[in-house]
Amino acid sequence: MKELPVRTEGAFAKRTNPLAHVFDEFVRFCRSHSLFMLHYCTGCGAIELPPAMTSRFDMERLGIQPMVTPRQADILLVTGYVSVKTLKRIILTYEQMPAPKYVIGICSCTVNGGMYWQSYATAKVLADYLPVDLYIAGCMPRPEAVVSGMRKLMGLIKTGKAESWKDYYRRYDHYLGNQQALFGERWQTPTDVLGEAQQYGLHGPETEGEHTALLQQVQQPLIPHRMRLK
Amino acid sequence: MMALIVELVLMPAVAFVVGLAMLLMMRKIAAKIQRRVGPPFFQPLYDVVKFFGKQTQISHGLIHDVGIIVAVGGYIAAETLIPVPGMTGIADRTDVITLIYFLMVPSLGMALAAGQCANPNASIGISRALTAMLAYDIPFVIVIFGMSWMYGTTNLVQMVEYQQAHGWGLFQAPLLAFAGLFALQGMLGKQPFEIYVAPAEIATGPMVEMGGKYLGSLIVMQSFSLYTAGILYTTLFLGGGVTWIDFLVKAFLVVAIPMTIAFQFPRYRAEQMLGSLWKWPVLAGLLGLAVVMWS
Amino acid sequence: MTLLDGLWLASALTALAAGLFGRSPSAGPWLTALYGVQFLLVAFMGPLAYGADPVPASPAFSVLGYGLSWQFTALSWFFAVITAGAALAAAWFMSGAWGRHYAEQGGDLRLLQLALALNPSTMYVLLASRDFLSLFVGWELVSWASFVLMLAAGGVGVRWALRYLVYAIGGAMAVMAAMVLSHALTGSFEFGALAAVVPDLSAGTLWSLVILLSGGFGVKMGLLPFHLWQAGAYAETPGPGSAFLGAISSRMGLYAMLLTLFGVLGLGTLKALSIPWTPLEAHELLAWIAAFTIVLPTFTALKQNDARWLLAWHGIGQGGYMLMGVAMGDALASAGGLMHVFNHATYQAALFMAVTAVVYRTGTADLNKLGGLVTRMPLTFLVLLVGIIGLAGLPPMNGFVSKWLIYRALIDDGQPLLFVAAVVGTLGTIVSVYKLLHNIFLGQLRVEHESVREVPGSMLAPMLALSLIVFVTGLAPGLVLDWLTTVQRELGLAVLAPTLGGVERPDGGLDMLWVVGILFAGFGVGALIFLAGGRARTVHQLDNYAGGHFLTAEVRYHYSDNFYAGLMHRIGPWYRGSFQWLQDSVVAATDLLAQAAAGVYRVVQPAAWLLGVTVLALWWVAA
Repeated sequence: MKELPVRTEGAFAKRTNPLAHVFDEFVRFCRSHSLFMLHYCTGCGAIELPPAMTSRFDMERLGIQPMVTPRQADILLVTGYVSVKTLKRIILTYEQMPAPKYVIGICSCTVNGGMYWQSYATAKVLADYLPVDLYIAGCMPRPEAVVSGMRKLMGLIKTGKAESWKDYYRRYDHYLGNQQALFGERWQTPTDVLGEAQQYGLHGPETEGEHTALLQQVQQPLIPHRMRLK
Repeated sequence: MMALIVELVLMPAVAFVVGLAMLLMMRKIAAKIQRRVGPPFFQPLYDVVKFFGKQTQISHGLIHDVGIIVAVGGYIAAETLIPVPGMTGIADRTDVITLIYFLMVPSLGMALAAGQCANPNASIGISRALTAMLAYDIPFVIVIFGMSWMYGTTNLVQMVEYQQAHGWGLFQAPLLAFAGLFALQGMLGKQPFEIYVAPAEIATGPMVEMGGKYLGSLIVMQSFSLYTAGILYTTLFLGGGVTWIDFLVKAFLVVAIPMTIAFQFPRYRAEQMLGSLWKWPVLAGLLGLAVVMWS
Repeated sequence: MTLLDGLWLASALTALAAGLFGRSPSAGPWLTALYGVQFLLVAFMGPLAYGADPVPASPAFSVLGYGLSWQFTALSWFFAVITAGAALAAAWFMSGAWGRHYAEQGGDLRLLQLALALNPSTMYVLLASRDFLSLFVGWELVSWASFVLMLAAGGVGVRWALRYLVYAIGGAMAVMAAMVLSHALTGSFEFGALAAVVPDLSAGTLWSLVILLSGGFGVKMGLLPFHLWQAGAYAETPGPGSAFLGAISSRMGLYAMLLTLFGVLGLGTLKALSIPWTPLEAHELLAWIAAFTIVLPTFTALKQNDARWLLAWHGIGQGGYMLMGVAMGDALASAGGLMHVFNHATYQAALFMAVTAVVYRTGTADLNKLGGLVTRMPLTFLVLLVGIIGLAGLPPMNGFVSKWLIYRALIDDGQPLLFVAAVVGTLGTIVSVYKLLHNIFLGQLRVEHESVREVPGSMLAPMLALSLIVFVTGLAPGLVLDWLTTVQRELGLAVLAPTLGGVERPDGGLDMLWVVGILFAGFGVGALIFLAGGRARTVHQLDNYAGGHFLTAEVRYHYSDNFYAGLMHRIGPWYRGSFQWLQDSVVAATDLLAQAAAGVYRVVQPAAWLLGVTVLALWWVAA
């Protein structure tokens, strides 16, 4: 397996106050111990999650809980093969999640297509379209593997290494290009990734490029309804 | 005056800490019933800090924000209306009727915020939550009336004094106490009266579009609501508290009962909820009322 | 010339000016100024509310040897100040853009202005009446004036106005019968004369008086079972008209009841009048009627899909609180009931105006065809929000205070069932008004409403002013409660000792200054907590959770119809329309009788009948 295209640069706004550093550590610690999962159960891997959550393995003792909507979740679990149609929904769901957010690909299918390698309708490598923090390989991985993967992610978060969500903003052009290659030129989501990148100061040199230029041509921008008196 | 200000600050602060502990207790009870280990001790704190530490999040407009502020702020304010050991806040200047209507203000805030999200799941959730309110408040006001009549006052401070002099309300009006406990189950929105959250069908209802600090605030609100329900019942029926220790033991016990019942149950549909809350606690309440008023 | 003469003159001038110049929309501001003069004149009579001597009117007539005289007392003033305020607000609301729009839509602005102006002027006459004769004159004037205002809408409004007319005539007959009875007992139409003989009257006579008076005046109040006319008649009146009618018009019934039942017969008489074989007394019977008037119309409102109808049904329900408070009669309850008249007028006028503003911009009041307007009409939203908090009776608005007084009194009096009925009404109101707010202002904004704008200042100003009153009198209810102590004294009721913040009593009082202060302090802390979280990015409504579905503007993603599906599943079958059935059967029976009479008279030998009647008449004359 190739190295994941995760780039962790130093914190973009360096804190000078030592107390602020302690505070950041504390927040990261809390983050790592409170992980709400949104399982996007695309394939067979989903069957291994209930045992991981219920009395046998009990993920809640690690602070991991299932959640229902992307707005509430921290982890996007993609549990199995990803068909092209499904991928659109996964990308929308991912973009609707509040950061810091983490993507976990469960099962071999998310790593390289697995047994669907030859399928015309399946997206093979999830990391091409979304910044994957962690893969839990296996067909399917047993709950022990899932829990161990979760612990790995917790460790990454605690040490500040699980920052791939920033990568999605910084290299949006790359991800968008792969998405466009799959979905066609008119591909767009209701979320405004470029605007968010600007607002949160995550705009990097590779955020915009030829693909985002194409997007801006075809996009019907959704301008939020602001309150107005006139 | 200074002492009053200190009380007004301390009462919500205590409520927050105790409320988080109650939240933990709720999850621990669920875990024990399901033979799990359950979350670590500081889990509610982790959750709140995580949500407030989100780096990107969305708002659906000003009312979304204002509603959340009203929801949290309303509960913070409400905490000063219920007497706790050693502190009365402004409980002497208001009464239990004011309190029950006061507690609707945060719910209204949440309803506003959920409505502004422009998500039908949220609207359905609120419509069911208001239906639930209509269901549990009818037995609850019967209980309030009965206890106020029995104590001869609506002032919560005097109610506590009365009980400490004459014995707990629980023993003097057991039927009303039962009705109150039943209504409490609905008030806390726990199973079987959990239809307005219903994660599997309406995607947690009002919370569907809440993430980051919005959901964090709602967790804070939930912890306040657990605490409020616990100490209100303690004040009405269990003689309040002489010291903080017995007060908190009672409050935790009160909250533990609905929690323990909750995790044995599936969800009732809205009309089933109305049926059960309008039948058993109302009957018990009216019977208890008759006993209280004609004895 | 007294202030009351001045008020009558000003209101007559207003009506005259409205009749002459009302057609032109530019006359609106001038007419508003005239209403302002009326309001000022009422305000100058303010000392009445603090115990000053009554203000008499100079004109006094004598008809067939019976004198008619008028004067303003504290009770009159309390209702007059609400009337003047509501009329000023309604006139202001229609003085600018709304009036122009109404005229452009083909509405008869002159008729509307005239009808609106006639209403307060006739009400000032009614409110000043001090004997049965002047009361009846005023009563008829008010009834006809509101009939004209209901007619102004034309169309479906006419049907409802005619239905009102039938009810009003029925009510007037009952009032007249009471007058005749009183005259037979005393030989005069003076209140004092009747009051003097009350102690000697038999229970049967007293019951007749009570039933005739409360039934006759109750029609105007929309008391059960005479409520069926009101919602339609008020809802279908053009916007500002319905704001005025909803605010104060039906309270004239309460005023007349207060004047006759409480002022003349006295609460003591009602309390001594027990219903045979039941533990109830007459005042409790009234309270029970009020309880049904609270609950049933409120839950009818819950089923409405038209914003105006919803509000109008709530108007009927809220009337029940006023009567319940007054009927219970102790210091707290009667203050609560009377204060609710004021409170209801303020928020109901604001609510009707807000809904009218929405209709003005979107062309519909159908709750299933709106949504998401909060971003487009934020100030109207604010008005509606303040209004519904008042209507639902939650802190910190004034509706809470009046309802609190009633609840507290019911606990004091040991009336658990009335208490539960009052609370059930409030809960039903909360449920219903959230639907109103949600379906208009929250949820998804429709594509066709994206270009909607906030209404102009001439419409906003009165709404915002009313909302401010709703809030301020909620913050400091003592301002209004002070007036009510004088009214209570005048009616011979127990007198409340209010403080600025409400009521101080050791066994559970209310200090709204603290309650509101704490509430807003809580909001402040809540805001600090909220702001401790990171920044949020405002997104478009279509960037929304739909289970991964891509939302588009073409697909409505909004929940409005059958808003309380689960609740209706349970209580839906309880709506039986019994009162509608009752009304329909009375109508059908009357119709049948009339047809039979006509049939007999016209078809079967008309000439023979005519001959028979003539012979009988001649015989009667000769004999």
